[in-house]
Amino acid sequence: MEDFNEKIGWKRRILIVDDEEINREILGNILQDRYDVFYATDGKKAMEMLGDKNSDFSLILLDLLMPVMDGFEVLDLLQGDEVLKHVPVIVMTSEKTAEVKSIKHGAYDFITKPYDMPEVILARCERIIELNEGKSIIRAAEKDELTGLYTREFFFEYIRRFEHIASEQAMDAVVLNIDHFHMINEMYGREVGDRVLCSTAQTLTEMFGGETFIASRTDADSFYLYMNHRENYEGVFDGLQDELSHLTHLPRIRFRIGICQDAEKTLPAENRFDHAKLACDQIRGDYTRQISYYNKEDNDRELYGERLINDMENAIRNGDFIVYYQPKFDIRSDTPHLRSAEALIRWNHPQLGMISPGSFIPLFESNGLIQKLDRFVWEEAAGQIRKWKEEYGIAVPVSVNVSRIDIYDPELENRLAGLVEKNGLTPGELMLEITESAYADNARGLIETVNHLRERGFKIEMDDFGSGYSSLNMLTTIPIDVLKLDMKFVRNMHKDEKSLKLVELIIDIAGFFGVPLVAEGVEDEEQFKTLKEMGCDVIQGYYFSKPVPAEEFGKFVEEEKRRRDAIC
Amino acid sequence: MLTLDGLKAYGADTKSGMERCMNNEAFYLRLVEKSLSDTSYDKLKEAVAANDLDAAFEAAHALKGVLGNLALTPLYEPVSKITELLRAKEQADYNAYVDEILAKFGELKNLCN
Repeated sequence: MEDFNEKIGWKRRILIVDDEEINREILGNILQDRYDVFYATDGKKAMEMLGDKNSDFSLILLDLLMPVMDGFEVLDLLQGDEVLKHVPVIVMTSEKTAEVKSIKHGAYDFITKPYDMPEVILARCERIIELNEGKSIIRAAEKDELTGLYTREFFFEYIRRFEHIASEQAMDAVVLNIDHFHMINEMYGREVGDRVLCSTAQTLTEMFGGETFIASRTDADSFYLYMNHRENYEGVFDGLQDELSHLTHLPRIRFRIGICQDAEKTLPAENRFDHAKLACDQIRGDYTRQISYYNKEDNDRELYGERLINDMENAIRNGDFIVYYQPKFDIRSDTPHLRSAEALIRWNHPQLGMISPGSFIPLFESNGLIQKLDRFVWEEAAGQIRKWKEEYGIAVPVSVNVSRIDIYDPELENRLAGLVEKNGLTPGELMLEITESAYADNARGLIETVNHLRERGFKIEMDDFGSGYSSLNMLTTIPIDVLKLDMKFVRNMHKDEKSLKLVELIIDIAGFFGVPLVAEGVEDEEQFKTLKEMGCDVIQGYYFSKPVPAEEFGKFVEEEKRRRDAIC
Repeated sequence: MLTLDGLKAYGADTKSGMERCMNNEAFYLRLVEKSLSDTSYDKLKEAVAANDLDAAFEAAHALKGVLGNLALTPLYEPVSKITELLRAKEQADYNAYVDEILAKFGELKNLCN
């Protein structure tokens, strides 16, 4: 271990606390060759220096009688501090009684005044530091028996030391992982696996030994490398691959490399390596990439996603999810009137505020959690349809989303039928939106489910029509009740001719199949007029209303009720 | 000018003092000279005159530590004695000790001229 400390020129730090300058100088003069010596003139100043979390003293030499704050007070404060109580203290005193008292207050040892000979003082300091460190980190083995690289504990300890003396040197955290190492072990035996590890360690040391390089092996087949900063790692590890094939006679051994660059230096080394590992894990299974750089935005996004996933179930329980309703207006007659609504989920997170569905729906779709959210919306929407019925005497059908994963749920039909029954609705009032891309996923399952649902009286809306690949073929195989035009077409309708043509075409298709067409995302009068002229049946979008809470939606129901009453 | 020989003649245990200073003569002599401007001598004198035994103890104790380390025996000895008496708050002729200490301090100062 001393080799390493000498190599990097690292010295342990000692803090001398004495109000007499001459005493401080004599001690400092004795210790300065071996230690990095710091001075404090009284207990209060000493505590200030020790309070700096980067102070990292290995030993305190403490005078007892001092103005402002004496040594006993310092001892007591140190004992009361979770971190500082582990810093050993040698008390300097000339009185026997004080020695006993100071030991009781937590001192490790004492140095008498007048001072003993320098060798005695040095030996005592060394012994106390060794004893103390032996109690904590240094109990672990310094080197990995197999590869000769540092063990994890020592690896991080040495980085910490190095950064004390060379904090300005740009260094990167690199995690190198052998792809499918367990396969090597299984196919060729453990001995060969071990040889791969040793050869990797040896080759890395040869390649980078000339620069500042600290290396460790952890988790069997991961190598942690603390090395000089490089802007670009392209080609840096190429030599390793060749050398390894040469040493082990194995066919191509592949590595994945994750790098956290110097810019993250404000973080402790452990975190930087966690980041490098994260980057390394991200390209697992991606054979097109061997090197991956940690990127804070990616990480933040991942953390944010993790948080949303964690918070989701509680949010349902706490009522943080709110269902909003966006009206769909029938525009076939001269005066547009309310036809139905679409239920849209909103998340009012107690800490993060309103979260856009765009940030959590794709996330929950990717891990199946969307199923829980869907069921929540179904229940809310079914209950709301009933409430409006009770309050206004008319039924406003509400469309809810049925995600791809729901299609696989064998209980889907019963679940929906149960909801309808519970709320005294007809199945047609709870309309089901299925996204077009579900067809590409599982066409047979989808056709079967849709057929069963329709047999029970449910109406199926095909959402995002035109956005996927399967649109036209699908229409011939799946019986649907409503087509919803993907909002991209409406948005681009007046920007490019093609979109306009496609909208026209899709309206024709809907007409051909005899199903109404709903245009989503209609924002202005121009779009509205164009769509109406082309024969679009139903419109949803900000032109009429944004999605609103159920209470606010009541005004649309009321208006529709008046309209119907007027007709009668 | 202050020299090792001068200190030795004065009665200092220069061997111990030098050892503590890692046998660095210039360093040792510089510290001895620095000790001459120690304000604790005045504090001791004033405290004893005012019969403030606590303050006197503090000053004496501070002096004792430094003098012991520098091995300035002729001063260290009376300072040690008065420190122990003051610590125990014994009745004693403290003025006599102070006089002795100041006399020895004066001798040490003369070595530097």
